[in-house]
Amino acid sequence: MEKAKINAYQLFVLIVLFELGSALMVPLAIEAKQDAWLVILIGMGGGLFLYLIYYSLYYYYPDIPSTEYVQKIMGTTLGRIIAFFYVVYFVYLAARVLRNFGEMLVTFAYPETPLFVINALLIVLVIYTVRKGIEVLSRTGEFLFVFMSFLLISASILVVVGGIIDSNNLRPILADGIQPVMKTVLMHNLYFPFGEVVVFTMILPYLNRSEKAKRTGLMAIGLCGLILSLITAVNISVLGVSLVSRSQYPLLSTIQTVEVAGFLERLDVYFVLAVVIGVFVKIAVFFYVAMEGAANLFAVKESARLVVPIGVVILILSIAVASNFSEFFQEEHRFVHFYVHLPFQVIIPIFLLIIAFFKNRKKSKG
Amino acid sequence: MFSFFNGKRQTKKNMKKEQNSSDQPNSNTKYPGYIDNTLSTNIDIIRKRTGNSSDIVFRSLKIGRNPEIKTAVVYVKGMVDSQSVNDFLIEPMMNNPALQEKIIPQEVLTIITEEVVALGGVKPVNDWDELFGSLMSGNTIIFIDGVSEALIASTQGGERRSIQESTTYVSVRGPKEAFTESIETNIAMVRRIINNPDLWIESMKLGKMTKTDVSVMYINEIADKEIVKEVHKRLKRIDLDGILESGYIEQLIEDQTLTTFPTLYHTDRPDAVAGNLLEGRIAIFVNGTPFVLLGPAVFIQFFQSVEDYYERYDIATAVRFLRIFIFFISLIGPAVYIAITTFHQEMIPTQLAIIIAAQRESVPFPAFVEALIMEITFEILREAGVRMPKAVGSTISIVGALVIGQAAIQAGIVSPAMVIVVSITAIASFATPSYAVAISARLIRFLFMISAATFGFYGLILALIMLLVHLCSLRSFGVPYMSPIAPFIPGEAGDTFVRKPVWAYKERPRLIATENLIREGKDQRPQPPANRQIDNQNQNIKKGDQNET
Repeated sequence: MEKAKINAYQLFVLIVLFELGSALMVPLAIEAKQDAWLVILIGMGGGLFLYLIYYSLYYYYPDIPSTEYVQKIMGTTLGRIIAFFYVVYFVYLAARVLRNFGEMLVTFAYPETPLFVINALLIVLVIYTVRKGIEVLSRTGEFLFVFMSFLLISASILVVVGGIIDSNNLRPILADGIQPVMKTVLMHNLYFPFGEVVVFTMILPYLNRSEKAKRTGLMAIGLCGLILSLITAVNISVLGVSLVSRSQYPLLSTIQTVEVAGFLERLDVYFVLAVVIGVFVKIAVFFYVAMEGAANLFAVKESARLVVPIGVVILILSIAVASNFSEFFQEEHRFVHFYVHLPFQVIIPIFLLIIAFFKNRKKSKG
Repeated sequence: MFSFFNGKRQTKKNMKKEQNSSDQPNSNTKYPGYIDNTLSTNIDIIRKRTGNSSDIVFRSLKIGRNPEIKTAVVYVKGMVDSQSVNDFLIEPMMNNPALQEKIIPQEVLTIITEEVVALGGVKPVNDWDELFGSLMSGNTIIFIDGVSEALIASTQGGERRSIQESTTYVSVRGPKEAFTESIETNIAMVRRIINNPDLWIESMKLGKMTKTDVSVMYINEIADKEIVKEVHKRLKRIDLDGILESGYIEQLIEDQTLTTFPTLYHTDRPDAVAGNLLEGRIAIFVNGTPFVLLGPAVFIQFFQSVEDYYERYDIATAVRFLRIFIFFISLIGPAVYIAITTFHQEMIPTQLAIIIAAQRESVPFPAFVEALIMEITFEILREAGVRMPKAVGSTISIVGALVIGQAAIQAGIVSPAMVIVVSITAIASFATPSYAVAISARLIRFLFMISAATFGFYGLILALIMLLVHLCSLRSFGVPYMSPIAPFIPGEAGDTFVRKPVWAYKERPRLIATENLIREGKDQRPQPPANRQIDNQNQNIKKGDQNET
């Protein structure tokens, strides 16, 4: 573990940017049609619950990251295996975010540029950042957060002023009952983006005042849930359900629709800026956590030595993870959400918490 | 016996030399460590050591009766205040009645010190290194035959530049005087602003050959003790031939060398130094330069000028925002133009796009090459303008106007739009208050241009984020460079992009001054009278004057 401390505000900022990251880009919960915004709010509730689980684990082991307390809870051998899978999981998620982002840029802005080059550029930036450590990352995050808020606020003003919102598109609410909504929550939305806060089990030990961890995390997730729900509602009301469900990047389409005062149009830069900022922080957090976890697992003294190798792995994995975008998209929806996220975000942490509970109860009794 | 001690001292010296060679650079010279008791030997030693330099004056005098005692006054021409040497040293030594009697050599030193010399500082010395040090810094040495000690009389003076208006940090409102090359004058100018015994100064000599005076100034009780200690530690490390300007020291004590951004602030304005000292910063004065170093520095400081605090706060705030905007223009102006014209033409309104396309039709180069040509031309002009004698300056401006202007466009090398972009960027880079930040922006601009030319806005955004990460990773004496914005410190954000009214500065920056944070008393906000009652009490006002109430 690096000798560094971050404060509660920095943690808040990191969680918000991390959660917004790629979630701004893709259509969220569109399986539930016009109720998508409701799905996100319920998913946020689930996310808060998951965060409480992670927080309880942190409460038992406030000084060590999750790859270390797994070994304390499960014993060294089994713990190490689980920790190793977590590191692989983080690397895999970083690669998926990178791929998704690269595909977005290639489809919409740089059709002639190879995906590899686009991804490589971003990973170079992330390598540079991660090398500087968590403190620099979180300070950068503070800046980017201000910038992101400015973007979101001014974009929403523009959308409202542009007069393109048609709230009829959001009706009827719960047309097919609550069942499809709950199904979407459990199949997709709980895990992406909310369940991904599981990476912060590796970052919470850096917090300088541990009593603030609970409130900060819950507030950050709550804020993200509201923002994402709002954005989804705006997307649907501007574009309509059928367009959103067919669009790869609904927020981009919404922003492209904006035209204010005859000259404020083609505001694609807004979208690119917001997504680059979010994705940058998201990949950097995944990357950093994977690096620290690996360093911890394999007893590498200077974790910065792992920066370049892990960066190369993420870069190559981002290309190799799927042969084209449809495959990537299907993989994401049919496989990753349920079979990858569910165990790593829900099952294992709950399992760990139960064992940790009994272990610590025994200890306090003894 | 004598030689025994002498030898011992020398071995000590050698040991010292091994530990720290900067302390005793002259220990290999041939003269003995102590002053001899015969005058001629001493004078010979000085002549030999200085290679008979013509600016060293030896003036022999004879004092006392029966026997007369030979004395010599030695000083360096031009370094001393010749009037005080003549009037307060040589003249009294020749005429003072105390020296006209029979005296024994051993008492002469005391008599001269106590009764004859009318100067502020007189002290005996018996060590050659110290003697040469003070002789070379403008003091006068008095040798007496038969005494193995000499006297140092402080007569420093000579011609110096007088105090003038600052040419690098000009202000409309505020004190006009700027530092000079003399360290004593500079320190005194700050003392004149902060009349407080808590203003502490510690001096040292740095540079093996130049022995430059370097002083560290801070306000005790406000400055962070750890940072003061750290400054000392870093200054002590310095082992150089010469310190010619504070820039030498800046480069030797900064936290990180691999950056284009300055991590120490420098200024030649006494009021800026005083203001920074009050915030808990530490000033480093170097003899021979008007530029004083201030640390720890934060990034936003380079966008502030002292005048901001003298102006009204709302105006100062607006100006500060303008400066940030200017900095961004000077940083990414050409890069944005390149990115838009090369990759994102859809962002320009259609009519403008058509005009730009028509202009660029005759230009044979891509936008990047075009921008590069103009930027490099501009940099050449600028460098020429700085280094040229003033007499040829006007030639440059005429030729420059032709090059960046109509002729370049008519020749079909660049498009008119590019001339506008480059000119605005050029003006913007002059409008940044700190030259140190302006030149680093000047350099980084080319990196931005390259990234914009290869990957458009995506490359530009990545480069900006990388710059941000880099800035966030810098520290100045352990203080994060981007504070108080990142890490965000709520109370201090009022002195960054915005400037709070003076009555709202309750505390000092807490990362820089760790103790004694309270800066001003309560209720500093001016309260206008609740009604005009105050005026009514003034009997001189006639009733007719108050009809507005």
